[in-house]
Amino acid sequence: MSAIDMLDLFSGGLSFLFTVLILSYLIGDNPLFRIAVYVFVGAASGYVAAVVFWQVLYPLLVLPTLSAIQSASLAQGLYVLMPWLGLILILMKVSSRLSGLARIAMAFLVGAGAAVTLVGALTGTLIPQFNATIDIFGGAVGKGGFELVELLFSGGVVLLGVISTLAYFHFGAHPKADGSMRRLAPVEILAWVGRIFIGITLGVVFAGVYATALTALIERISSLINFIASLFGMF
Amino acid sequence: MRVFTAVIAIAFGLLVLLGYFLPPTLFPTVVDLQTVLLNWAVILTGVAALVGIFNLIIVHTDKVRRAEKGSVYSALLVLSMLFTFAAGMLLRPDHVAMQRVVLSGIILPVEAALMGLLVVSLLYAAIRLLRRRADAMGIFFILTAVVIFLGSATLPFGDIPVISTWIRPWVTQVLALGGARGILIGVALGTLMTGLRVLFAMDRPYGGK
Repeated sequence: MSAIDMLDLFSGGLSFLFTVLILSYLIGDNPLFRIAVYVFVGAASGYVAAVVFWQVLYPLLVLPTLSAIQSASLAQGLYVLMPWLGLILILMKVSSRLSGLARIAMAFLVGAGAAVTLVGALTGTLIPQFNATIDIFGGAVGKGGFELVELLFSGGVVLLGVISTLAYFHFGAHPKADGSMRRLAPVEILAWVGRIFIGITLGVVFAGVYATALTALIERISSLINFIASLFGMF
Repeated sequence: MRVFTAVIAIAFGLLVLLGYFLPPTLFPTVVDLQTVLLNWAVILTGVAALVGIFNLIIVHTDKVRRAEKGSVYSALLVLSMLFTFAAGMLLRPDHVAMQRVVLSGIILPVEAALMGLLVVSLLYAAIRLLRRRADAMGIFFILTAVVIFLGSATLPFGDIPVISTWIRPWVTQVLALGGARGILIGVALGTLMTGLRVLFAMDRPYGGK
């Protein structure tokens, strides 16, 4: 048996063990399930830490720093000095006395992150979604008969869904004569329609997630059977 | 310090933002500066992740030291974390042993099995929803889920006519599309507003009122 085969057998055994431990939750919360979850959190965070070092810090910080030291270049030195300064400031978060200084690095991160998020929301979601809603009607140009009616009806329903769903999340209210706060009547009606669209959308999402979960469960049960079958085939 | 951190957030945020909107052919320096700033942000995010993981170790070793309830689990967490981190640093995460043992042996099976457990918990949640909240949204939610299941099911006699061929595609491609698009636009508008509030220093999640 080669080293790779041994690794595969060990990996298969671990996979079998952890699948059984996790699925033991079906009979209720128990220590075996907790062991699996805690080991999983530990292994996953340790793996993430190693990935962060080798795929982020090593190529973006360690290598440029070594290069700057070797070349003795001032520009390169300044380029790596700032992240080292930020690193030191973030590490101060660990200390209760100096944690306030970490705010400087956090402010930089939040500012840069806010700008990236803002542009991402604008160009990645808002503009494409608006364009896609308009394009349904654009597709009706040059069409006729039943096809035109179908396209206009579908586009109208999608547009109603978009507007009414947005109306559901509109919480601006006006005071009434009796002192109660109510939304405007048209917004209230649209919001009611929006509830139905949201219910339908969440139903579709639920069905999708449920189908995925079912597939994952079947895959895990199949892996358990395959591992046992391969063990008997091996020995 | 309060004003200083706000100035840093606004200044660097605007510089990154400018890099997206100014044409690179006319303002190459701004785009280069944006790349440098984003690289620094990636490095600091990585360091912040490591600090978070270090904090996890501190919390759980403290639990073990105090012999609190469940400290055995905390000890297992710390041991598995240290072992995986040490192996990852020595072998690198893309090494075949790391991939087979840590990824294929622990992380992926646990994630898939946890996803599998959702079959039971989602079914239970759907039943609870029907019992506790039988309003328009709840009824349409359950009805849609049932229609999608019936329309997607592979039965011995084939697809269910009308539901598979007409109702399910129309529900997913028209009705649900409208709702999903509305939710996505709502989320994006919320994200946009949050970003602008941070850039105008109306919200200061980095500290300071």
